Amino acid sequence: MASKIIHSHRFVILWRTRNERAQKALISRTPASLLAIAGLCLSSAIALFGSGRGLAAAQEPELRSQPQSAGQPDRSHIFLGLGRVPDAAAAKRGEGLYQQNCQACHGAKARGGIGPNLVRSVLVLHDEKGEEIAPFLKEGRPQNGMPSFAQLTEAQRYDLAEYLHMEIELAANRGLYKHSGEMSSGNAEKGKQYFAAHCTSCHSVTGDLAGIGGKYPQPAAMLARIAWPNTRGPRKATVIVREGKELTGILEHYDDFETTLKTGDGSTMTWPTVSVKVEIPDKLEGHRALLPKYSDDDLHNLTRYLLTLK
Amino acid sequence: MKRPSLTKLTHLAALAMLSATTMAAQQASVSVGLNPNALQLFHQPPDAWPTYNGDYSGRRFSAIKQITAQNIQDLRIKWKYKITGIPPLRGSGPLIIKSTPLMVNGVLYFTIPDHVFAVDARSGREKWRFDFEDHGGHVLGQRGVGMYGKWIYFLTPDGWFISLDAETGKERWRKKVADEKLQYFTTMAAVIVKNHVIIGIGGDAMDVPGYLEARDPETGEMQWRWWSEPQKMGDPGSETWPNEQSMRHGGGMTWLPGTYDPELNLLYWGTGNTNPVFAGQGRKGANLYTDSIVALNPDTGKMVWYFQGSPHDTHDWDNVETPVLFDLEIDGKPRKLLAQAARCGYFFVLDRTNGKSLISKPFTKTANWSKGVDERGQPIPDPNKEPKVDGSMVDVASNGATNWPPPSYSPQTKLFYVNATEGYSVAYLYDTSPEPEGYGGGSSGAFDTHSSLIALDVLTGDVRWKHIPKGEGAEGGGMSGGILTTAAGLLFTGDSDRLAGFDTASGQLLWSQRLDHHVSNGPSTWVMDGQQNIIVGAGDTLYALTAGGR
Repeated sequence: MASKIIHSHRFVILWRTRNERAQKALISRTPASLLAIAGLCLSSAIALFGSGRGLAAAQEPELRSQPQSAGQPDRSHIFLGLGRVPDAAAAKRGEGLYQQNCQACHGAKARGGIGPNLVRSVLVLHDEKGEEIAPFLKEGRPQNGMPSFAQLTEAQRYDLAEYLHMEIELAANRGLYKHSGEMSSGNAEKGKQYFAAHCTSCHSVTGDLAGIGGKYPQPAAMLARIAWPNTRGPRKATVIVREGKELTGILEHYDDFETTLKTGDGSTMTWPTVSVKVEIPDKLEGHRALLPKYSDDDLHNLTRYLLTLK
Repeated sequence: MKRPSLTKLTHLAALAMLSATTMAAQQASVSVGLNPNALQLFHQPPDAWPTYNGDYSGRRFSAIKQITAQNIQDLRIKWKYKITGIPPLRGSGPLIIKSTPLMVNGVLYFTIPDHVFAVDARSGREKWRFDFEDHGGHVLGQRGVGMYGKWIYFLTPDGWFISLDAETGKERWRKKVADEKLQYFTTMAAVIVKNHVIIGIGGDAMDVPGYLEARDPETGEMQWRWWSEPQKMGDPGSETWPNEQSMRHGGGMTWLPGTYDPELNLLYWGTGNTNPVFAGQGRKGANLYTDSIVALNPDTGKMVWYFQGSPHDTHDWDNVETPVLFDLEIDGKPRKLLAQAARCGYFFVLDRTNGKSLISKPFTKTANWSKGVDERGQPIPDPNKEPKVDGSMVDVASNGATNWPPPSYSPQTKLFYVNATEGYSVAYLYDTSPEPEGYGGGSSGAFDTHSSLIALDVLTGDVRWKHIPKGEGAEGGGMSGGILTTAAGLLFTGDSDRLAGFDTASGQLLWSQRLDHHVSNGPSTWVMDGQQNIIVGAGDTLYALTAGGR
């Protein structure tokens, strides 16, 4: 649920433009932990910078968090065409006025009560900067049971309008959505049992996973790490050029057409993909095998358990 | 139908000519603009691409077969048209051509948000450009224009329906069809059916109801409007909503072009996700007619049947993907069918006369959000797989198993082709209040995710072949864009940063051409100067390819 005030953490939209060098560079500069968290805060439109994500489905922009200077409209706001950014200070003042004067009829956060929902009100949505709402408040609609609020000052009516605009912003701008960060389910003891049964052949809570709960304190980030802990960035591969001749290095480019390998001495070689055999170690085989087997409870229990490993 | 420019004599002559449908089919282009009779169920005029999908069926199958598996190696770029002088679009970055260009009388008409381009199909030279300045709305994409006679129809991000002169690009009139202040926006390519311009809308930020409209091609005035939800409690379908408030804010946008069967006089359209998007607790029930395929009478806007692909959707799985029409003999009986590879991960084959299900089968993984299908073939959502505060994992990728890029059906192979995404994602519930608003949650995670080109058998729903591109992420691999098949047994689509040609029967990769960006629209084809052209958009550039680049 959208919180009352705009978080200092602003979000931007980035189009997934896979072939753009700039974006690749951005990804590789961004710490993996931030990426993991970033992908978990937002809307339907998001996806992690999924290795191997298909482009066929990339119809929507992918939103992710990116600190941006305060006061500027975030890119999701601009992209969604939400118009003017509400005045946060006025909205904050308006919130108190709303609670005193409006909440009894229009409900918490203006979502409606015995009076209409104001976040979905056509009059409110058509208001640009109080020019519709303020006169409405002054006059009221006595015939419909909406009293006049002529006793409020002009400034107060403006603040109330800004509060409503802020509530609209928080509902409509999914770039501002944020997970609560608090778990409501999961059982650490059961998670420990699941871990013992399914994970210990590769992992140890005193070895590779020591302190993992401190590294991924956000539950959704931890869940993502459990389900699919892929490390982004170039993969290691062995290219078998012909029988008896193979090269090992980093895959710089790999698709159905061309394979480019960077070897230890820094040189790169490119082959038509059809002419070579490329072997890439599958580090996530165990995780892949578990994906179809997890229940949501399993994942929540595991998350709870691993979060205890500070 | 008003056609004031035609004299009675020429009108009669035109009627005589058009009565022979095969002849009409060869004559897409009359002296002025596009003859509406060029639009047919299963036939694309060879010298034109007159509507978003080439014909009414949505098969994107062309009978043109000059380019074959034998000579495809000669196929190369004849010209490119790169969009210049337009800054990156508000909040969405680089310019991306998602529209399928119409080709009429040797001119290509295509779009990006706020801009229409007319380009000479022979040379790739710009003929005119129409620039619009929006005042809101999403600039997510623009699928292209519709054409009727000499008039072009274009929709803007902020809900303006604009008619342009195809010859000059000059505006004839504009009509407001959607209110951007309520967070509606318009992106689709209008579909022309008789004297109706059919337009749909988008917008799911503020829980507004979806609708589809028919407008008069001459005046732009509304002929009818069909709402995606029943209008009051007691109306058929209202029993799938808890109350009128939730029903009137239930979403169901109509943002992709539909298909049409002239013999049955039925318009087939997909409706988008239900609202609030991820938070379903305030709208218990199936939520008709969101996430459905609906068959409408194009003259009245009355619904004849519906099939709901994603009942009580809580995953943003718009069911708008093209409802593809085809005829097939089954057990010796000719059948009129409709198939859709839906974003929720199911492949549906229906009888398009009545909406009865023949096949409902997952086409990527198991579609574990559903507990199987009901007696009508509609998936049954599993309440335990709705978004949760702590996350609920489904075996469908975050943006769905497929999305808007157009699929294709080949009557030769009887296979349905779709670019899909396979993988797992997690849906979170953020808004736990009894009556949530907006998205109310989100989906994230790309666990074991990859793209694939999938060929589905329409008789069984089985995967006949699948092409999983090599490479992932920054390495370069991935399928992209829509699909075109041809009578030469070829399939064209995007693979990595190339246009690629596959064998429709085997899925074998035959050929590719590197482009400056990955393919971003549905490829199309037509003949000019005796040469088959393949047209494809990739990023900000449109390409024409011919044998030897001639």
